[in-house]
Amino acid sequence: MLKLKINGKEYGPVDVPDDMMLVDVLHEYLGLTGTRFGCGQGECGACTVIVDDTRGPREVRSCITGAHYFSDKPIRTVEGHARRDAAGEISALSPVQQAFLDHFSFQCGYCTPGFVNAATVLLERLAKSPVHKEELEPTILEALNPHLCRCTGYVRYYQAVKQLVLSTPGLVKP
Amino acid sequence: MTRFTWRRMLQWLLVILLAWWLITFLARWWFGSGPEQQVHANAQQLAHGRYLLDAADCAACHTASGGAPFAGGVPLHSPFGTIHGTNITPDPDHGIGRYTTDDFFHAMTKGEARDGHQLYPAMPYVSYKSMTRADSDAIYAYLMNQVAVKQANPSNDVNFPANIRAGVHVWNLLFAGAQARPASQGNSHVWQRGRYLVETLGHCGECHSPRGALGQVDRDRPLGGNNELGRFAAPDITPQGLAARGWAGASLREYLATGSSALAVASDEMLNVVNLSTSRLNAQDLDAMTIYLLGDAPPAPATPANVVTRVAASADAAGQRHYFDLCAGCHGRDGGGVPNVAVSLRANSSVRDSSPHNLIVAVLDGLPEHDFPGLARMQDMPGFAADLDDAEVAVLATWLRQRFGGQSAPVNVESVRELRR
Repeated sequence: MLKLKINGKEYGPVDVPDDMMLVDVLHEYLGLTGTRFGCGQGECGACTVIVDDTRGPREVRSCITGAHYFSDKPIRTVEGHARRDAAGEISALSPVQQAFLDHFSFQCGYCTPGFVNAATVLLERLAKSPVHKEELEPTILEALNPHLCRCTGYVRYYQAVKQLVLSTPGLVKP
Repeated sequence: MTRFTWRRMLQWLLVILLAWWLITFLARWWFGSGPEQQVHANAQQLAHGRYLLDAADCAACHTASGGAPFAGGVPLHSPFGTIHGTNITPDPDHGIGRYTTDDFFHAMTKGEARDGHQLYPAMPYVSYKSMTRADSDAIYAYLMNQVAVKQANPSNDVNFPANIRAGVHVWNLLFAGAQARPASQGNSHVWQRGRYLVETLGHCGECHSPRGALGQVDRDRPLGGNNELGRFAAPDITPQGLAARGWAGASLREYLATGSSALAVASDEMLNVVNLSTSRLNAQDLDAMTIYLLGDAPPAPATPANVVTRVAASADAAGQRHYFDLCAGCHGRDGGGVPNVAVSLRANSSVRDSSPHNLIVAVLDGLPEHDFPGLARMQDMPGFAADLDDAEVAVLATWLRQRFGGQSAPVNVESVRELRR
């Protein structure tokens, strides 16, 4: 029996096969279909979720990581970023989501959940330990490089993150 | 002894040292300023030289990653410090442009450069010493017809006292002379050719043979495996060692030709060896290497029937949990792997190796993407050093070895601790 904590909400206990990967549990058991199944080999990053354990926040590829691995680890998926009102309707996107919209970063959107999570992890890391301005570009590259976008939206993803970091106080050391 | 004789002895010592320095200086100047050599060779001779150069895997140490061919600069890490493969292009000042065929043969087989300085034994002249003159000349002719690259040799970083080049004379006297006994039994013509390819040109023993305290190859245990040179161990490739891990002629030949077989894929430095050397050998030579490695009468390979498929329930739970959580996504629930993505772990050579060294290192560090000859590849594997502590790695490795490797002995936590960086 598997219990998960996703986007602050408890799920389960659900009876899922012991070797099932998280992305399948999200899709088939919990109805959380925002996380994308891409290559199925942990290479493209579309299935990335955020894990908030003692080492977190960190990115984990949900297509190659067994669901039971997360039984004691809080998860955030792409559904958990926007602010919602009392009725559960989206009232405001997260700064990362809004920046990607403003910069027309994505076209088909298949990779976007992964990029949203990667950029969110980066911003949270920078809030804890800011980098010098000259280190910012390699830092963003390092964070986004593992994610593939077959519409080649890389430059716009990159620019969106860079502008967001620079316009958010406290992320860059003077 | 009187004060007077002490003084006399000191004076003599000084004279000898001065003379030594002068001779060395003059020799370096003389040999450093000889005429540039021109070597003429036809296309067939060049192709032959290139083939032998591939068989001797010169590029592994003399072509840096992303660097000009044979211009040197590859760092070789050893217990004695870091040594760099040198420039062996025909450049007269940094390369071998002034070498004659005699100089080249002398350097290849005796480990002495044209200017008289001793090469460090990282240059495998101890293996090459049985190279034929004709083969040496063919390699020389090929190299001398390549583009000369003006690239200075980086300085080495060898610890005292190994950095005293003259000390290599003593080392050579002690260790470079005798031939190691053959690693397998045989006397067929093919076996003889294989011996030449494996022991001399391929210099397999330089990594795969155990070494003594002074870095000398242990002649009594040729190709018996060495886990001290790199992060990964070079496994035992004696006939018995190979057969214990399931290797037979066909699988070994396929591995050498393509870097990949049902039992293992080539990784780390061996991937370079396959890409630069063994995959470029012709069918007869691959057969010869295989026959030499296994012997004229190959031992029967241990069959996958030895693999335990039923694991005790108590030992199972934790190891199986880690496997399903972190490994099965790519290697599959039954360990079968995915072609060009992740290796099969069933009866895998490293999983069933009596030493868990390489299995532990792979779990801790992960592996980079592999590109094999042709279009075959394996994707990169993440390391799990941060996910699993020493005890958990030991439990996972034990489970893998019992489930897929037929090895019942548990992996102890100490061996993981020692390998964790």
